Amino acid sequence: MSDSTNLNIAVIGGGPGGYAAAFLAADLGMTVTLIDPELNPGGVCLYRGCIPSKALLHVAKLLEESHQAKDWGIEFAAPKVDLVRLRSFKENIVKKLTGGLGVLSKQRKVRYVQGHAAFENSTRLRVAKNDGTEESLSFDRIIIATGSRPAVVPTLKLDTPRMMDSTGGLNLEDIPGTLLVVGGGYIGLELGSVYAALGTRVTVVEMLSGLLPGADRDLVLPLHKRLEKMFDSILLNTTVASVKDEGNGIRATLKAQDGSAQEKVFDRVLVSVGRKPNSEIPGLEKTRVRVGQRGFIQVNKQLQTDDPAVYAIGDVVGEPMLAHKASHEGRTAVEAIAGHKVAFEPHAIPAVVFTDPEVAWCGLTETQAQKENREIKVAKFPWAASGRAITLDRPEGMTKLIFDPHTERVLGVGIVGVGAGEMIAEGVLAIEMAAVATDIALSIHPHPTLSETVMESAEVFFGTSTHIYRPKRG
Amino acid sequence: MTELIEFKLPELGENISQGDLVRLMVEPGATVNAGQSVMELETDKAVVEVPSSVSGTVQEIRVKEGEKIKVGQVIFTVDGAETKAEAAGQGQTATPASAVKETPAAAVSQQKPKPAPAVPAPAPSVAPPSAPSSAPSGSSEFKLPELGENISQGDLVRLMVSAGTKVSEGQPVMELETDKAVVEVPSSVSGVVKEIKVKEGEKIKVGQVIFTLESAAPAEPSRPRSAPVEHVSGQHGARLAFQAAIRAEGKTEEQALPPDQPQQPIPAFSMPAQLEKVAGTEHRQPVPAAPHVRRLAREVGVDIYEVKGSGPGGRISEDDVKAYAKSLVTAAATAQATPQAGHFRQPQLPDFAKWGKVERVSMRGVRRKTAEHLSEAWNTIPHVTQHDRADITELEQLRARFAPKAEEAGGKMTVTAIALKVCAAALKVFPQFNASIDIEKEEIVYKQYINIGVAADTDRGLLVPVIRDVDKKNIVELAVELSGLSKKARDKKLTPSDMEGGTFTITNLGGIGGIGFTPIVNFPEVAILGISRSRMEPEWIQGKDGGKFEPRLILPLSLSYDHRLIDGADAARFLRWIAEAFEQPFLLSVQG
Repeated sequence: MSDSTNLNIAVIGGGPGGYAAAFLAADLGMTVTLIDPELNPGGVCLYRGCIPSKALLHVAKLLEESHQAKDWGIEFAAPKVDLVRLRSFKENIVKKLTGGLGVLSKQRKVRYVQGHAAFENSTRLRVAKNDGTEESLSFDRIIIATGSRPAVVPTLKLDTPRMMDSTGGLNLEDIPGTLLVVGGGYIGLELGSVYAALGTRVTVVEMLSGLLPGADRDLVLPLHKRLEKMFDSILLNTTVASVKDEGNGIRATLKAQDGSAQEKVFDRVLVSVGRKPNSEIPGLEKTRVRVGQRGFIQVNKQLQTDDPAVYAIGDVVGEPMLAHKASHEGRTAVEAIAGHKVAFEPHAIPAVVFTDPEVAWCGLTETQAQKENREIKVAKFPWAASGRAITLDRPEGMTKLIFDPHTERVLGVGIVGVGAGEMIAEGVLAIEMAAVATDIALSIHPHPTLSETVMESAEVFFGTSTHIYRPKRG
Repeated sequence: MTELIEFKLPELGENISQGDLVRLMVEPGATVNAGQSVMELETDKAVVEVPSSVSGTVQEIRVKEGEKIKVGQVIFTVDGAETKAEAAGQGQTATPASAVKETPAAAVSQQKPKPAPAVPAPAPSVAPPSAPSSAPSGSSEFKLPELGENISQGDLVRLMVSAGTKVSEGQPVMELETDKAVVEVPSSVSGVVKEIKVKEGEKIKVGQVIFTLESAAPAEPSRPRSAPVEHVSGQHGARLAFQAAIRAEGKTEEQALPPDQPQQPIPAFSMPAQLEKVAGTEHRQPVPAAPHVRRLAREVGVDIYEVKGSGPGGRISEDDVKAYAKSLVTAAATAQATPQAGHFRQPQLPDFAKWGKVERVSMRGVRRKTAEHLSEAWNTIPHVTQHDRADITELEQLRARFAPKAEEAGGKMTVTAIALKVCAAALKVFPQFNASIDIEKEEIVYKQYINIGVAADTDRGLLVPVIRDVDKKNIVELAVELSGLSKKARDKKLTPSDMEGGTFTITNLGGIGGIGFTPIVNFPEVAILGISRSRMEPEWIQGKDGGKFEPRLILPLSLSYDHRLIDGADAARFLRWIAEAFEQPFLLSVQG
């Protein structure tokens, strides 16, 4: 048997899953080829996803706070938005990060091929390179990391730049007067927030009965309240029946669950109804890789497909379609290829919605516990009792720990509030380390910070939180 | 229009409400007439044959042999197109078989047999899982059927079908290795295989779905994509959750999703709500162990879920894993200390390819089973082999004379068939040869029955079908049964139950040649008789006026036995008895 470190491997797709896999493989001594159409590694996350949207959200937050500053005695003149500079701020971030990845890739002697790959068989790829040439390459193992793309709804397909998906939305061609956001998930709310902060009147339409389906309702509520003020309207239980290009705008027919319909003209429409796995790889049928009904490539816990020479990671293998899940899977797959006994079996994958306030959770949710009829004990700490939250003038937040009532073990964490995305990492660590309530309550958290709310939630579990008085029951 | 009529178990008599189905005499496709016996039922009082009260072609059998059946329970359905439907006059209403949705209910009456089947029809009972409908239904499954007593699972050695393969009932679809044997498992369903749910090398449990069938005709055209068959339960779960969510909102999936994109259900939001939905994660609750502890467990080959944690909340530490691993090693070592070298441990092999080309072939299946079983027998039993010869000159004449009788009955009067009878008689005289040793309890188990295995040489390897109660059967019966079993062995139709329960074994290599050999005792039996080729030999025959050499037909016999239980002298006597019985068949009637 050949030494696993002598393996020649290919990674198709240079997103956070693909490049993490490629880099680790190179670090382990394998010969690595990374194939992606972009100039540098980065994928959707860096080029048109997580990173550019966070740059814009940072700006949006500044704008919002400048309004709020009036209450604190500081008044700014109405902001002037220079779209060109704003765009270049965002684009420079992307360039810097992807360029950095290009350097890291060279330093590791990863062969970066700009192009599209097609399977000739389980171990052979034909790469159509961006420069027009073709190359046929042989490998010992191939990792598919082709990611996902915005889902398209045929009834909402119009050939006009006014009709956007998340990529178009991030391009920020103009600041439309009105924007219809179809889908109240994290992409729609994040981008909707950006446009609203820039002055656009935003309408969000969500088919289900609440925003961010899947998240616990008590976490969504503070966000919903704030968005109601920021947005023109949030229409729940509503679908977009049809859209029509009227030249100077898009006429949309919105249909509520009760059957009532209304028509409205919007300058732009953003469709953010989910993402679709990129599993339609040419030649994949020449391998034994199996694609499930929703288009996800089927893998085992080692991220190996039904074809022993082919692995798959990231969005293309299933939900949650998140960059950090993809990276972890990518590293797991490479370790498995290297012959290590590993498996992808995290206890908690954090989810963060970067709105203002942010919503973040990991591990077990209350919703899920209810569905499973699982006995849990929930401890909540409202940020109205947090000194730090008050100094920020953002008392609407809440920190929630979900415990096993018998072992007192932390099973889930949910946070809504400014900076929730940064705070959730402690929750992930607590769950992975199998921390019990006492562990968290006895770990000294710095004062005055929002992180104290995690410690105090654990104290709430015992009924002894310093900043919350709860009268003793009988 | 096709009408389905159900045949239900009629009233059998006073106070009889149920019975065990001993034998079913019809199968799907068979034509039955009212009054024709269709099954044998064992009730508290007797075994009775039950006549059909309906006529037509049997469509679907709803019961299995060995099952308890209640009065009123549906036994099978018949396609009643040809019967005269006298309308709903007489009481029994046929409810449509649950699996045959497109056929409307038909009210029919039956020509009644003696006991009036005046039972009102209960709701059609659910068909047992292992006897799915062969009628066109939405989708059908083939599950691993019961294989025999105490066999709950097996290793899938070979799968003989793949997606798209047409299978018909009775067709062998896989080779399964159980504790007892490698068996071919026939399909109980017919149709086109849609999806294979198992993999070669996997352990498969009775009742587990092996494959699903494509429906012959789409059951309900109005249900195009509400029932996706997705393998990974996590994603499937997510999908169902999505559908449930939409349904809860009072919408159909069609409303929620664009109609012309059949394969693209778009969840409104795709963040994780819980871990179980993540690809590849099983639905096990998170174990209270830190990631590095979980990794350690995986590296040392310990299932972390088996480890008991010593920390708060049952938290598992590195030391817990190590202690558990150590306990496993100790347990394994003690297990190995007992003489159980069945799992071939052998010194490191040289690299054979150094000296020339080699081919490596999987030793799964019968060959591996044989290897394990024989090394176990060899390692457990101190073997001794006793040789003797039987003069079968007279017997051969008798054999030739009675051969047509066996032929008539469908068997072959072979030396083996006669040997069966001879050995059965000998085992009665020498019961210690029909025994087993229970070392743990320090007891000898004498069996009050005589079941003799006959080693059969098949293209798959050595198989030993067992003939039961040999002492209660005559030679013609034995010859017939032996022929049947041999054919079954060659056709790969032997079931594990055909090969268990033996108390003694005969192995006959005479068809090939040889003058003697040392067979290995078929553990846990204690003796085995080997038969070699008979041939004419000069025998010194003592007469009144001296003696002379005469040509006699001599059969060489080799008896291997477990010296722990059987002394050499006993073995010599036993084998002599057998030789004499061959020489003087009369002995069988005198002593046997």
